[in-house]
Amino acid sequence: MEMLDHLVTGFSAALTLQNVLFCLLGCLLGTLIGVLPGIGPIPTIALLLPITFGMDPLTAMIMLAGIYYGAQYGGSTTSILVNMPGEASSVITCIDGHQMAKQGRAGPALATAALGSLFAGCVGTLFIAAFAPPLSAFAQKFNSPDYFSLMVLGLVMAVVLAHGSVIKAVAMVLIGILLGLVGTDVNTGLARYTLGISGLWDGIEFLPIVLGMFGIVEVIRNLEKPAGERITISTKFRDLWPTRKDFREAWPAAVRGTALGSILGILPGGGAVLASFASYTMEKRLAKDPSRFGKGAIEGVAGPESANNAAAQTSFIPLLTLGLPSNAVMALIMGGLVIHGMQPGAAMMTAKPDLFWALVASMFIGNVMLVVINLPMLGIWVRLLGAPYRFMYPTILMLCVVGVYATTAEPFQIVMMVIFAAFGYVLLKFGCEPVPLVLGFILGPLMEVNLRRSLQISRGDPTIFFDRPISATLLAIAAGMILLAVLPSFRRTREEAFKE
Amino acid sequence: MTKTPQTITRRTAIALAGSTLAMPWVARAQGAYPNRTITFVCAFSPGSGADTLVRYFADRVQKVAGQTIIVENRPGAAGNVSAEFVARARPDGYTIYPHAASSTAANMHLFRRPPIDVAKDLQMAAKINRQAFMIVVPASSPINSIKDLTDHLRPLGDKASYASAATSGKVMAETYKVLANLKTEEVNYRDAGESLNDMLSGQVAFGAHDPVFCLSQASQGRLKILATAAGERLKAIPQVPTMTEQGYPMDQLAWWGVFVPSQTPRPIVDTINGWFKQVLETDETREFLGRFGGDVAIGTPDEAQAMLLRTIDQWKEFVLVAKLPQQ
Repeated sequence: MEMLDHLVTGFSAALTLQNVLFCLLGCLLGTLIGVLPGIGPIPTIALLLPITFGMDPLTAMIMLAGIYYGAQYGGSTTSILVNMPGEASSVITCIDGHQMAKQGRAGPALATAALGSLFAGCVGTLFIAAFAPPLSAFAQKFNSPDYFSLMVLGLVMAVVLAHGSVIKAVAMVLIGILLGLVGTDVNTGLARYTLGISGLWDGIEFLPIVLGMFGIVEVIRNLEKPAGERITISTKFRDLWPTRKDFREAWPAAVRGTALGSILGILPGGGAVLASFASYTMEKRLAKDPSRFGKGAIEGVAGPESANNAAAQTSFIPLLTLGLPSNAVMALIMGGLVIHGMQPGAAMMTAKPDLFWALVASMFIGNVMLVVINLPMLGIWVRLLGAPYRFMYPTILMLCVVGVYATTAEPFQIVMMVIFAAFGYVLLKFGCEPVPLVLGFILGPLMEVNLRRSLQISRGDPTIFFDRPISATLLAIAAGMILLAVLPSFRRTREEAFKE
Repeated sequence: MTKTPQTITRRTAIALAGSTLAMPWVARAQGAYPNRTITFVCAFSPGSGADTLVRYFADRVQKVAGQTIIVENRPGAAGNVSAEFVARARPDGYTIYPHAASSTAANMHLFRRPPIDVAKDLQMAAKINRQAFMIVVPASSPINSIKDLTDHLRPLGDKASYASAATSGKVMAETYKVLANLKTEEVNYRDAGESLNDMLSGQVAFGAHDPVFCLSQASQGRLKILATAAGERLKAIPQVPTMTEQGYPMDQLAWWGVFVPSQTPRPIVDTINGWFKQVLETDETREFLGRFGGDVAIGTPDEAQAMLLRTIDQWKEFVLVAKLPQQ
């Protein structure tokens, strides 16, 4: 009950007019930048940080946090509507979310994402309130070998979640890893695979890859089709809202996604991304008819959207308890706290409990606000899809170009995007999916550094991965998943062999 | 960042207007520096700790200078992208580059072909701070001094490991190893935070890390700071001993300063120096920098330039000691 007392104090501090207004402002800004690719939460918060110097620390934190989870939320909108993921964690939503939109079910897809996010956001926040200290103790048990095994598991999932040929999925993951290795090597400081181009020293950027392979390829694919065969639009309210059947299918997925996201979110580095992929894999595994996935299965939206939102909330845990930022946005928020004279970490809960609990309370308020802001927008978003495609596609292309240019201010990155768009189009023609490639690209470098670090520690002895219980368990799960994925096709070939 | 093209066009437009009209009032207006928006170039991506530092000064100097200051992030190639951009910028005092001067100096030796000659293409307008890297062990460890650490590590030979992330930490640890005759092996991390779990579980014996990380973890009782690489104790952290006083002499200061293009006229450089001096003399700034484990450093442009030249020389040796590869 102590927690309830804390939450009550928190709510009373967070529910002042000023704080609520800035929470609303943060959520609005976050939604907006989430919808626009390229203008992610990082530059936005960086730009706003100096303005918050003069503000009350609590108000500042509430606004910055609102931008962060608002962006997670807005990112799914463009994924669903035009197959253009603005954030890494909404890449997976493209698969089934955009299929739903193509079938004229953009409304239910957006509503599912919104409601799933609300549920996950609230549960994730409760998680912070109730379990922050024990969870951070758990996260502290993760050493380099454990991270390596976690990344292996993540990449195995990337193969399992692909629908189509396993070999093609493996190839995509491997290409993704190779792309992820481009750039300066951490250990030796030497440039790898940069072809002497200085724009590649820091590696390939994320946005040129996803906007090229998803956004632009989608435009090409649509233009190939004869007009009239494109999206059918219905803006009747009945069709905007998920049906009872949709709810029945979506809610267990949202609950599972939330659980996965809450746990993976506390691990630094790609927690939200990993959570959304893991949730999708799990839903596909558990589904009675996995073939529906990739063709507009509502679980494929509900699960990952809940997972990434839950992870976005729980990624505050390492910052608030260990003083370790789990991603770049958290690093910025940490900078903000330090400037306001606070030392993020376990001491914050005891030294500044009012601030800690008010921040937690504001997350509840913010999540409710996000749904209130977004549900009335459903009709507008969906109607947007009804615009003639000759107006839509130049807009999408422009947003892609502006988005890529805005993050780096280097024309080179636009060239990269065009190259990846061409590459993505070739893959499309060969029936290869880009999603495993993106997962390989994100997780591959993490896997590499942890592999090399572990082997440096063990002086090259690979048993370090089996001696540690966490690492061994994760590897065992990965091995199990490979068996599950390979056995059916193995059995099938055997059956076919027997037939002859 | 989205503002880049805008500012450039505006700047070009003003330059054009100035050169074509060349009316007396324009000359007078140009004389009254500063009369338009100033740009602070930041070599770190938005969100890094260093970005916070640049934005703090942008905000405070803006009030003193009476002109809007915008921060332009130009990350990449270990700061070379920014350094080159500033070196090629118009030397009119409207492009200012507050950055880690020690790492700008180090780049002269870390790159086989440095894009600019830091000593000639840039000039220092002011100093900002000085800080030092630190050697840390878990708070629960029985090791309480560098001597304890050496006694613990020597019998282990190359079986023990240490964690490093930034180049300065690597240089500090390698210098220590040479002085103490140790064979401890290095494990690389992308940032200090990543190495925390491996340090706490004892997978690596110690870490050589930046002061922000060390102080924050020490204040939370997870890590213990054994020594700093500074020549003498820093005012912000008088309780932390140096390597030198524990018998391992070294003087490796990481310091920040303010760069401008080398052709910037002296009166403008002096004006910029004055702004920073005014901001640095406030208690607020002293506390702000102190929280990152650094001391305020105030100096004339000439003093700062002399320190830059010394640091460039120092790094020649550091690169050899730490066997750092050149790009």
